[in-house]
Amino acid sequence: MYQYTEVDQTLVDERVEQYRDQTRRFLAGEIPDEEFRALRLMNGLYIQRQAPMLRVAIPYGLMSSVQLRQLAHIARTYDKGYGHFTTRTNIQYNWPTLESVPDILAALAKVQMHAIQTSGNCIRNTTTDPYAGVNANEIEDPRPYCEIIRQWSTLHPEFAYLPRKFKIAFTGGPEDRAASQVHDIGLHIVKNDAGDVGFEVLVGGGLGRTPVIGKVVNPFLAKEDLLSYLEAILRVYNLNGRRDNKYKARIKILVNALGVDKFRALVDAEWEHTRGELKLTDAEIERARGHFSPFDYQGDAVKNDLNERLATDADFRTWYETNTRAHKVAGYQIAVVSLKPYLQPAGDVTDVQMDAVASMADQFSGGEIRSTHDQNLVLADVREGDLYALWQQLVEQNLARPNIGKLTDMIVCPGFDFCSLANARTLNIADQINEKFEQVDYLHDIGDITVNMSGCINACGHHHVANIGILGVDKKGEDWYQITLGGSSAADASLGKVLGKAVAADDVANTLDKLLTTYIAIREGNESFLDTVRRTGLEPFKESVYAPAH
Amino acid sequence: MPLLINQQLAENDKWQTLTDAEQPLPAAGAVLLPLERFTAAQAEAGSLELAPLVNGDDDINVVLEQLDQLTLVGIEISAFTDGRGFSFARILRRAGFKGQIRALGDVSQDRLAFLTRCGFDAFDIPAERYSNEIANAFGEISVNYQASSDEPRPIYRRD
Repeated sequence: MYQYTEVDQTLVDERVEQYRDQTRRFLAGEIPDEEFRALRLMNGLYIQRQAPMLRVAIPYGLMSSVQLRQLAHIARTYDKGYGHFTTRTNIQYNWPTLESVPDILAALAKVQMHAIQTSGNCIRNTTTDPYAGVNANEIEDPRPYCEIIRQWSTLHPEFAYLPRKFKIAFTGGPEDRAASQVHDIGLHIVKNDAGDVGFEVLVGGGLGRTPVIGKVVNPFLAKEDLLSYLEAILRVYNLNGRRDNKYKARIKILVNALGVDKFRALVDAEWEHTRGELKLTDAEIERARGHFSPFDYQGDAVKNDLNERLATDADFRTWYETNTRAHKVAGYQIAVVSLKPYLQPAGDVTDVQMDAVASMADQFSGGEIRSTHDQNLVLADVREGDLYALWQQLVEQNLARPNIGKLTDMIVCPGFDFCSLANARTLNIADQINEKFEQVDYLHDIGDITVNMSGCINACGHHHVANIGILGVDKKGEDWYQITLGGSSAADASLGKVLGKAVAADDVANTLDKLLTTYIAIREGNESFLDTVRRTGLEPFKESVYAPAH
Repeated sequence: MPLLINQQLAENDKWQTLTDAEQPLPAAGAVLLPLERFTAAQAEAGSLELAPLVNGDDDINVVLEQLDQLTLVGIEISAFTDGRGFSFARILRRAGFKGQIRALGDVSQDRLAFLTRCGFDAFDIPAERYSNEIANAFGEISVNYQASSDEPRPIYRRD
């Protein structure tokens, strides 16, 4: 993985001291509240319902065991012993004090980490495929380009006060595990007719109040033009994005208002100025790629006892079938660490679990861990012969629930219990769903499905792009939940459609039960829930939920 | 209000800023005028030296068209959250402007370094936001990755 240069290290070290001084001046009354708010947000610090919340960047979701141990240390020392992985593949701490944040940032800098631009109206952490570099269908590993973007966007002097936040996602091939079509910019590695590898560029996707699928602004961008083109988009957005209404300030609103053709013309005109000076050199691309060279895979990994283990241990087999994915190298597997245990908040992980996963990574997966946009962790390079031992350790840490891609693998924002923006609680509803659908056989019969939940219209839980989306709304002081069906964040991205009127808090799991019973009754063959909804439309599902009882 | 030019406190400044549309032009001297009034006043300027004061809603192309006649461009930052001025300065420098680019309005310590990187070289700082430590802002981060007005090459194209 990427190792800091002297410049990278100097930057994060000096940034810590800069923020320490800003905190000191704020506490001394020298910086007004509003202005300090912008400064702390650009260092990932929110003030939430209970306490400050610090969001730490995990660039493109990749960390080393050393870094994960440091995250555990921070959870233990400055928080209440846990952290929360987010849909931007970052980690959040919910209980640090404002005064301790400079020390936390210093602890992060020691292991080549930071919290720069994890919030605020600036360019956020670029996310990518958690299976980057190890899945067979990818055209090229996107992470070197993510790192190139990380450097370009970090403390970019011109784009620190954008109209609104700005998120970029990158995929390395035709499969999309990064929800790239609902990002401000989605970048896809593609091959053109001439066989050259470059990027398809989507712009103006997003969730929130106005969910939009991104539009193609450039079908094939040469690699060397990556930053010059991004800089042109950002400059056009910085100058033309709306600043009068924060709900209309994202780039999706600008792209929709102008139309993608006019937007493209503005970008192309600006690009004429930037494409010379910002052209990526071959040496720079090679330097970045050099940090992500494939592991030293062993040919003898194919000789292992996996089949015997699968034949003799049913629990292991269930976990293997659900929580591992094919690796591009024979004899290896991608193992997903479920952060969705029974009746625990999605994405939460204790210091003890973090230390344990770090050790497992050292033992079984080259000392690297990835975080996913659906709030799990991944050990990407596990020898098949090590899977049984890995599984046993995961079981011991309550990290082996066989539910990856299944109903209880929900994306859930922290909701009203923690977040000051939320209108409704989410964690209690997630528990209710977990209690209702505890039975593994039933979950596996339902098959692959995504259920996402947000506690307010800001849609941090990505409910718009879930097969079943759940949105918490406040009605006269009571929590109600609006259900959407048919969304997807994969390559066939689509926005869910509203099922009907919102359901009461204690009726959410029952409603899901009706939807799933209907699905099982009307599915054809091995048809997934999403495919069934796409085939039949919402009508049969509406009827099952809203028809008067006979 | 304290004025920093090239990171130093400037004592004498000839420029007078006239934002009140009712206030008549002086007979002589150097005057910074909102872009619309600046455009209208040029014909009758006489011995007055004029400079435009643009805000984020103005069209920077109007200034670009007459850049070779200007010695100063003022950029009004109406709120610290308004980042358009950063891009304006970049565009002016890119067009070859060698005169002064002065930030006015909501200008304070924690934006000075980025503003400087984008091409600003003068800052009109509200008195209540000025302190003797303010120049510390320029040295806090000593490294950068991006091409900008102060360094035309991104880090990967530097020697």
